[in-house]
Amino acid sequence: MSQEDDLLKEALHGDEVSRRSFLGKFASAVFAGLVAPAVAGKVEPLHAAPATQAGNLVPLLNLPEAIEGEHPVERMMDDLRRALQKPMDQRKWGMVIDLRKCTGCSGCNIACVTENKLPPGVTYRPVMTETQGTFPNVARRFVPRPCLQCDNPPCTPVCPVKATWKRADGITVIDYDRCIGCRYCMTACPYSARYYDFGTFYGDSEGGERQPYELLPTPEYGKNYLRDRGGSPIGNVRKCHFCIHRIERGDLPACVLSCMGRATYFGDMNDPRSLVSELIAQPNIMRLKEELGTDPKVFYLV
Amino acid sequence: MAQLPISNQETPPARSSFKWQATDLVWIAGLILLLIGAWGMWQRVAYGLFPTSLNSYVPWGLWVGFYDYLVWLEVGSLLVFTTLVYLVGFKALNRLKPIVLFTGLVILFAALLIVLLDLGRPLRFWHVYIYPDFGSMITWMVWLHTLYLVVLLAELLLVMGWLSVAEGPKERILKGLAYLSLPMGLALIIVSGSVFGVVTARPLWNTSSLPLMFLISSLAAGSGLLALLAVLFWPDKKAAEYRQVVGRLARLTAWLLLGGAFAASIIGLTFLYQGSPARAEALMLMLTGPFWWSFWIVHILLGVVVPILILFNQPDKPAWVGVAATLSVITFVAVTLNVVIPVLATPELEGLALSYVDPKMRYDYVPNTAEWLLVTFIAGLGALLYGLGLRWLPVKPKA
Repeated sequence: MSQEDDLLKEALHGDEVSRRSFLGKFASAVFAGLVAPAVAGKVEPLHAAPATQAGNLVPLLNLPEAIEGEHPVERMMDDLRRALQKPMDQRKWGMVIDLRKCTGCSGCNIACVTENKLPPGVTYRPVMTETQGTFPNVARRFVPRPCLQCDNPPCTPVCPVKATWKRADGITVIDYDRCIGCRYCMTACPYSARYYDFGTFYGDSEGGERQPYELLPTPEYGKNYLRDRGGSPIGNVRKCHFCIHRIERGDLPACVLSCMGRATYFGDMNDPRSLVSELIAQPNIMRLKEELGTDPKVFYLV
Repeated sequence: MAQLPISNQETPPARSSFKWQATDLVWIAGLILLLIGAWGMWQRVAYGLFPTSLNSYVPWGLWVGFYDYLVWLEVGSLLVFTTLVYLVGFKALNRLKPIVLFTGLVILFAALLIVLLDLGRPLRFWHVYIYPDFGSMITWMVWLHTLYLVVLLAELLLVMGWLSVAEGPKERILKGLAYLSLPMGLALIIVSGSVFGVVTARPLWNTSSLPLMFLISSLAAGSGLLALLAVLFWPDKKAAEYRQVVGRLARLTAWLLLGGAFAASIIGLTFLYQGSPARAEALMLMLTGPFWWSFWIVHILLGVVVPILILFNQPDKPAWVGVAATLSVITFVAVTLNVVIPVLATPELEGLALSYVDPKMRYDYVPNTAEWLLVTFIAGLGALLYGLGLRWLPVKPKA
């Protein structure tokens, strides 16, 4: 039994433990679980706090992401590496977001902003809040909205200069050096998933001094664009690209790895053994605005 | 030493020989507008689109609306003019050709400038010529506009006599260019409507009727502009021909306005009856939203009802026709703004507006001072060029 299990058992059953100390220990265990892989450089199976907390109530094997006891992140990493061994046109990246698990913490969005060095006014993965019903029968759910990487994207054919297109692996990309900033693609996206870079910096509204993190190059498309020189992507349209630069070096997208509720899954939909293929086959899967025929590659479990 | 022959013994014209003309008011007004709007231009050049109210959810606004308005005026007036002169045989109107072409060219210049400044990276405009994707309506629009500019310029240079072509071939070339401009103008208007019409994400735009509505509106606006030009520039105001020309243009404008209003009403009522939420929401925003007055008062009342009443009742009174045409021409901008803005200001996904709070992610778009000042600057530049052209170029119809 792991240290986290011991901590939780003590916290849950020890009479003398106060609520505050329980929360402190519980949070430490969760945090340790999140940080440990990064520190160790390897993703370890997390029979993490939530699973152990409910260990006596919900058998681990019943969780869809924990088939054969393997941690979802480890499994997705394996899926990813397997997919990368294939030619690009034989893989199809997809994402599944479990709305039952999303807590609306927006951690995925923050991770995305951090990863891609996004400026004010640009966000690739806002988390929408939907409230349904009226008191006392009211429910709230959180819907993260990355670019849906449509198979039939309405945003690409409208570009007058061929600056945006769909790659063979299903990801819609933008060539910042060619984009003229006409923003036609933004009007054409049915999900408002494209953003315009107005050229501002967070530091502009905080005393005018640009912060060091804002001067870092954005690693998008593996090109290291430096915004502080006034060049692209300022004046361009930007969007989520499933963190191509991470995928292609064998890492999961930042939003997937940062999700504390483990609500986001990513992988190759052409691989029947992948976790996303398995999840997409669930009957409770849905997509946004399916009636438009855009065939999005982001799925929601509801 | 032989004395050099003096070719001109006359005294040089005194400085006081500069005589003010009524049309000088145009370039003076242009200069004033240019100075007022200079701040807007500076803001645009220095800070890009940031000073505007444009944002990631409402990416097009005042400037795109003005662009379409100017295209309607420019192409509409030339389409009506060419059709009347060359297809209908209304030869008396041909007298207005230089001023019609020159007006169209100045409006075209203003339209291209405003849409150029709407680009995030205006210095890359040439990408549309080097990397064109002819699947995009904007590519077609830019290419057609460029060709249209060339044809228009050639026509104007010929009409002004700046190209040395003999009179016989000149007429044939002018006729050929006029015929060429007809399908090009039609295509340009249809394409500018299709820019919006093909966008499946915006249900109110995404109708096959929109490009046709653009055509009808363009013809109505253009016909009004022609009537106004006739009232302003016809050389012999006492001639019967003048009243005849103005009267015919007045009636044509009135019928086009009536036809456009009728077609738009049918389309609008159908949308409301269908009750498709996405369409109805955007339409209701236009009809009853915070800018209801721009539709009902500016466009419907001042731009359609009042001009129609005047034009049908007083077609033979040029002064009244001038008032009605001015009202119609100016207020048509409310139409293009109402086509562009309410549709974009309708959220595509519920909850998106509040998902991330940022001044550049919002749906309550209202054009701000920076945007209006740039429009003022471009209007000033256009007026300055127009006024100077009226003074120095042979574009005014001769008696």
